[in-house]
Amino acid sequence: MSPENLSFLLLAIPGITFTALSLIWLLGGRVTEHAMSRLTKGVYATLTLIVGIIFWKMWQSDLHSVRVSVGDHWFKVAHYEFPLTILLDRLSLPIVGITVILAGVVGSFSVRYLHRDPGFFRFFLLLHLFTFGALLVFMADSLDVLLGGWEIVGITSVLLIGFFQYRPDPVKNALRVFATYRVADLFMLMGVFLAHHWFKTASWNGMFSGEWPGHVNNLNGNAATIVAVMLVFAASGKSAQGPFCGWLARAMEGPTPSSAIFYGAISVHAGAYLLLRIEPLIHSSWIATSLVIFIGSTTAFLGTLVHRTCADAKTSLAYAAQTQLGLIFVEIGLGWTTFAIIHLISHAVLRTLQFLRSPSMLRDYNRVHSAAGGQIDPTGEHYESFLPKKIQLWLYRAALGRGFYDPIVDRFIVAPVVGLARLLGIFEFRGGKS
Amino acid sequence: MTFLSIPYISFGLGFLLLGALWAFKSANPRFAAIVAASGSVGSFLLSTIEVAKAGHRRLFDPWLSFFEADALDAVPMAFFAALTLIVIILAPKRDSGGKALAGILLLAAATQTTYAAADLAVLATGWWLTSLPFVMRMFGEARSQKLAQGFLIASSIALTAAIAVLHHIEIDEISHASNLAFGLIILAVVLRKGLFPLHGWMISSFEHGPLLPLALLFNGHLGALLIARSETTALTLSERHVLEFLSMAALVTALMTSLRGFAEKKPRRMLGLLCLSQASFILAGIATASAEGITGALVHWLVVAAASTGLIAIVRVLEVRVSGSADPTAHLGLATKAPRLATFFLVCGFALIGLPGTLGYCAEDLIFHGALENHPWIGIALPIATAFNAINLLRIFNILFLGVLPKHVIDIPDALPRERWPLTLIVVFLIAGGIFPSQILRWRENAAHEIEAGLGLEQKEHHGH
Repeated sequence: MSPENLSFLLLAIPGITFTALSLIWLLGGRVTEHAMSRLTKGVYATLTLIVGIIFWKMWQSDLHSVRVSVGDHWFKVAHYEFPLTILLDRLSLPIVGITVILAGVVGSFSVRYLHRDPGFFRFFLLLHLFTFGALLVFMADSLDVLLGGWEIVGITSVLLIGFFQYRPDPVKNALRVFATYRVADLFMLMGVFLAHHWFKTASWNGMFSGEWPGHVNNLNGNAATIVAVMLVFAASGKSAQGPFCGWLARAMEGPTPSSAIFYGAISVHAGAYLLLRIEPLIHSSWIATSLVIFIGSTTAFLGTLVHRTCADAKTSLAYAAQTQLGLIFVEIGLGWTTFAIIHLISHAVLRTLQFLRSPSMLRDYNRVHSAAGGQIDPTGEHYESFLPKKIQLWLYRAALGRGFYDPIVDRFIVAPVVGLARLLGIFEFRGGKS
Repeated sequence: MTFLSIPYISFGLGFLLLGALWAFKSANPRFAAIVAASGSVGSFLLSTIEVAKAGHRRLFDPWLSFFEADALDAVPMAFFAALTLIVIILAPKRDSGGKALAGILLLAAATQTTYAAADLAVLATGWWLTSLPFVMRMFGEARSQKLAQGFLIASSIALTAAIAVLHHIEIDEISHASNLAFGLIILAVVLRKGLFPLHGWMISSFEHGPLLPLALLFNGHLGALLIARSETTALTLSERHVLEFLSMAALVTALMTSLRGFAEKKPRRMLGLLCLSQASFILAGIATASAEGITGALVHWLVVAAASTGLIAIVRVLEVRVSGSADPTAHLGLATKAPRLATFFLVCGFALIGLPGTLGYCAEDLIFHGALENHPWIGIALPIATAFNAINLLRIFNILFLGVLPKHVIDIPDALPRERWPLTLIVVFLIAGGIFPSQILRWRENAAHEIEAGLGLEQKEHHGH
């Protein structure tokens, strides 16, 4: 089988698995835990094998990229057509590989972790949908296709945050995360539409010449800067950076395996992946470059500060992940591409392990402590201890309040919007009973 | 004049009218209504196929020559007939009495009359008749529905006045209408579609009215049909300016209702705002005067019709199951007991707001692209409305399906087989259409070409090349 066919199969398998399972269930069928476990393990083993074969074949034939067009276009109206092309190259293949491996690990872990949980079937259904969406993001050959996967990843993420639906907090937090996603995705939508409008293209081939990492930007002028800025904000939304940094801690309401795969391994790195993909476009504008560095550095600073004051393991890990993602943004802004990819992949692997072990964190600590003969040093000496006491206290308060992000958003964004919405009620009629 | 080989339109309408009578008298009204609605689905489907085979030409009914089927109305007729059948099957027992089902069939017959009208007088007759089942209180006590009835009648009066001013009744001659007549037509559309600032009646109807008949009334999209029809008739410059106003009204409606949803807590009102906002995209798209926008709008018409019918039906069947919580503001947590209904709701909702993987995504993608070409502000504002609507959709979902199950909801059934199959059909249409959109676009591309030809877009493209 050619790498082209294998690439298509790689994307199709999780999509078909999700669709088939959904239809079986919707029409009244049942899938046992055992069958679901076997199916999931089989799917991820197959996907890993396919990635391995594609890698081997590309290496053997010295292929730098594999591009597969599914038909001429997905749909076409007048002069506008939506090409459905997928791409595997030196940027996407490692990330696709890490996606299927980590999703497989998390799937395998979840079989025991969610044993007899009422949401067992739902979790695995969403895991397959997430895998499909994530692979679509990383294998997209255009912003249009990437957007499709981007939204699917967002929706699955939100549905898993609200996994424990009978508790009010996950439901509330899922809604808040969804709202943040939607606002961030607006930037993505506008970026895509404006790219089409001004440059008549949103495909990597049209936007850039050559192959990654040596590709060259084809878009110029203020219009290119606007598109770049839009996409930087969209990436910030997915990676919980800058103005969208508040949602990651809320997302910890989901079950631990979903936190691992979404906020440790794959989903949060999708923003960084997008920046890596459009790197020449960002670097063609000093505004976009400075924005990426500014957003990354400020979020990293806030993240590391808040991380130190978090009382629970998962929230602490969330802010730690946010910090590392901020640093990855800075690396991309500075043009350290290879370093950023190594950082991204190693961070994904380490954070998945940490998230999956987080329910056993105390036990792990005690074991390591005992193994070290009770001699583990307290981690109390940090750079902030060099600061004056007053500033230390101020930073501590800011960290405890998580940068006062939520109160600021509530007061200056949510309240005015709801106030305006109430005001619009003057055009409606109320009263009367049915 | 070319005719259909068999009088499918007469048959379709006959099935509906006789079915209404049969359902009204029958001891088993649901069976009678299903038979009648199935007959009308078959008739309208066959007429659609014949129109397609005839190269999407206008084909008149051989028995009643004031009815016709063409590229613009053939697909909506078949689609609306299918929606009617789905609504009848989904109707809970308390909504499926003889009178109510007869009312639904009458409403369907009136809507199909409007679709199939070959001249304005017949169109206006159908327009008037759609309000008849509500005025006759066929869906129960209508004390709080006077407002809706008032708006429906006002809209019909505006349309009738337009015809009176026109002095002639050929649809093709709308382009010769005076500005006053065209203004009256636009007023009829604004009133009927519930465009800002006259949208209040629609929200009020969603809150208090009978939901399932309202789904059919809402999804007739007769206003969009009338505008699409008038666009095919080479409008004058001043009339196009009036259309610009209409597109602005649709845009403002989409934005305002999506924003307004944030201040609402009642699922019915939120659902009304959501459906109204998304339905406004149809008019905004038709008014983009671009091939992409018009095609997108015509596909979005089908998406809104299917998805909102699914959503409305689910809300109604839940209300019936959870007695005492007709309009809850607290979380109901029904996903625990009715996970399939929750899933159907979510998929229909996601299709309505244009999530990738659903047909709504393709439709909205086309509308946005079309709008950016000629009306950049529409292209920018509509995604904002979609984002707001998405948040409101999840809020409705949270209220209905998430949270702690109240004590009085001890045991309710999930989707019954009678509900499961029609809802699966809707979901399959929305998702299969999203995965393979070309086929659905092909259904509507001829209608879009007719509108483009009317607006002179095809000539413009030709000159451009």
